[in-house]
Amino acid sequence: MQLHIRQAKVSDPASEFHNKVVDITIKDGIISKVAVSAKKTGETTIETDGKKVYASGKGIVYVSPGWVDILADYAEPGHEQKETIKSGLAAAAQGGFTDVFLAPNTEPVVSTKSIIEFILKKASGHAVSLHPLGAISQNIEGKSLAEMMDMQAHGAIAFSDGWKPVQNAGLMLKALEYIKAFNGTLIQIPEDASIATTGLMHEGIASTRLGMPGIPPEAETIIINRDLQLLRYTGSRLHFTGVSTAAGVDMIRKAKREKLNVTCSVTPYHLALTDEVLNGYSSMYKVSPPLRSEKDRQALIKGLNDGTIDCITSHHRPHEWDAKAREFEYASPGMNIQELAFNIVLQALGDKADLNRITEAFSTRAREIFNMPAATIAKGSVAKLTIFTTAGSYTPTRMVSLSKNNPYLEQELPGRVAGIINNNNYHINQ
Amino acid sequence: MSLSVKHLLGIKELKTEDIQNIFRTADNFKQVLQRPIKKVPTLRDTTVANVFFENSTRTRISFELAEKRLSADVVNFSASGSSVSKGETLIDTVNNILAMKVDMVVMRHSASGAPWFLAEHIDASIINAGDGINEHPTQALLDAFSMRERLGELKGKRIAIIGDIMHSRVALSNIFCLQKLGAEVMVAGPPTLIPKYIQDLGVKVEYDVKKALQWCQVANVLRIQLERQNKPLFSTLREYALFYGINRQMLDSLKKEIVIMHPGPINRGVEINSDVADSKQSIILDQVENGVAIRMAVIYLLSGKRDLGE
Repeated sequence: MQLHIRQAKVSDPASEFHNKVVDITIKDGIISKVAVSAKKTGETTIETDGKKVYASGKGIVYVSPGWVDILADYAEPGHEQKETIKSGLAAAAQGGFTDVFLAPNTEPVVSTKSIIEFILKKASGHAVSLHPLGAISQNIEGKSLAEMMDMQAHGAIAFSDGWKPVQNAGLMLKALEYIKAFNGTLIQIPEDASIATTGLMHEGIASTRLGMPGIPPEAETIIINRDLQLLRYTGSRLHFTGVSTAAGVDMIRKAKREKLNVTCSVTPYHLALTDEVLNGYSSMYKVSPPLRSEKDRQALIKGLNDGTIDCITSHHRPHEWDAKAREFEYASPGMNIQELAFNIVLQALGDKADLNRITEAFSTRAREIFNMPAATIAKGSVAKLTIFTTAGSYTPTRMVSLSKNNPYLEQELPGRVAGIINNNNYHINQ
Repeated sequence: MSLSVKHLLGIKELKTEDIQNIFRTADNFKQVLQRPIKKVPTLRDTTVANVFFENSTRTRISFELAEKRLSADVVNFSASGSSVSKGETLIDTVNNILAMKVDMVVMRHSASGAPWFLAEHIDASIINAGDGINEHPTQALLDAFSMRERLGELKGKRIAIIGDIMHSRVALSNIFCLQKLGAEVMVAGPPTLIPKYIQDLGVKVEYDVKKALQWCQVANVLRIQLERQNKPLFSTLREYALFYGINRQMLDSLKKEIVIMHPGPINRGVEINSDVADSKQSIILDQVENGVAIRMAVIYLLSGKRDLGE
């Protein structure tokens, strides 16, 4: 298949064409030509085999290396009423992601190669590349090590116990040591269950006023502190995802100065929302780790902009209506967010949005951290591209995902994802 | 005059005028309750469901009496042995009751915020009879009403709430209610039973119960909610009683006579001794009596009826 992108502005700090308006030719999934556009009509178009499949109308749109989502839950196998690999990949394409790391918290959990193979088989042939995360512990019970070597050999991109982060320090130490043999990376949501499970939201004035048990920031910092010590001891590689507190960002900033091999990511909703949105007890905003204070939110934005926070990760967690339409305490945590992640981030950052950092955070940093192909916009590169604009707005009226647990439905959001090109295939948003 | 709200979910949402309005109405009903025939026909065309997802004896009886004295038809639903144990959701449970033409729901629930959630999904008026560790608005109203009987208007009065502030829905509703009426509020108890950010609500915090008693004019002593604790919050009941329990000796050492309250049920010998609970300073039984009048007032005002039935 041949694809021609005409007059798109490159957002790729690693490319010699960064910030230039270019024409790109793609043959059989490989970029065969990139050149500064000669024609200047002020419109971006995409053609395949002589047929125009996309036209931006007025205004040039951006093209960047394909976006990577480091943690998303597609609930298959086990909870296909929430999401399936098929519907999840469609949501990813809608959201501009060419690569998605799949949460291992399925049923059965991803702790053996056979589940990895099942997932990869289900996802093959799609415009989005799915990368299963293998569990750190057997059956995600947090007791003994899963077969991480075997899972990596069969396609696991990294290892995580997903929504049930490793609690036992001894196990975490052994896991960090074990992955050194095959250059693996662990992904951990920093949350201490013994503190977090007794609370329902961030502990602060809002939780006090609402009469809800709180989760102090220490639920996060205790695990970050512990895992950084284990990292120092083992010299291994660790990525924290879902960092939510100012103190947590500070600890990671210091650890990076110390040259520990630590990286981290933040979710769109932690950048966008605070505990004040819980005033009506809406379970739509029940997420884990919880929405924090405005001070924390500002620290996350600062951390993202100064590079302490490497990546933006959706923590996409779809739930059927019945799992959310319950008393706050009994409602399932998580937000269905993948297809709107970019728009929510743009809105959250407002005038603090730095497009270079956004491209790095959505794409290039994750590719470096997890040893993925670079996807640089240059001749000879694999064509993994996301096409988007920061201009205009988008009001989602429906979700591509099977589930609807997203509070941003029917709300006008800035920016628009036009589509993706990946796997010698493409998806254009209608 | 009706209330500014459709439901009584929490004191949080009430205006000061709503509280005054409830008190004036309760004054009337309290007189009704002194008569040989303690009943008015006001709500004879109204059906109220008392839906209790958590055990309660006194609150449920108080609501039931209030409803019956307004001539409402009453149905009681309690979670044990009901459809909830078969996995039915809250919305389904309540909608099933409403389908039988019920006009008003009085609900107690173990989850904070549950009445707010329910209010978004059903049409009937809801009265919160206690949700999780959040609010218990009618208790706060009857507490303030009882204090007002003793002390007059509460503006500038000093009220200490003593005991398990963290797990008590009475504490939070009391704080909101008393502040709206202009009183000064202090909370006192072991640090593990006091929410970390409670002072941001504008209350004083004291860990020494004696100092709290010296400061206050009214001590509202809360129950140690043993059934709620899933964490180690204090050592032993013995130690709690020794250092935080209110006894006669403490009261006698004060240079003034303060009013003692307790929302019940009392753990005698733990948070309060019998020689305090049963003394003339105690208005614990007045609270119980006023509870019926306050609940009659709330139900009446939310029903939208104009006729007091006298």
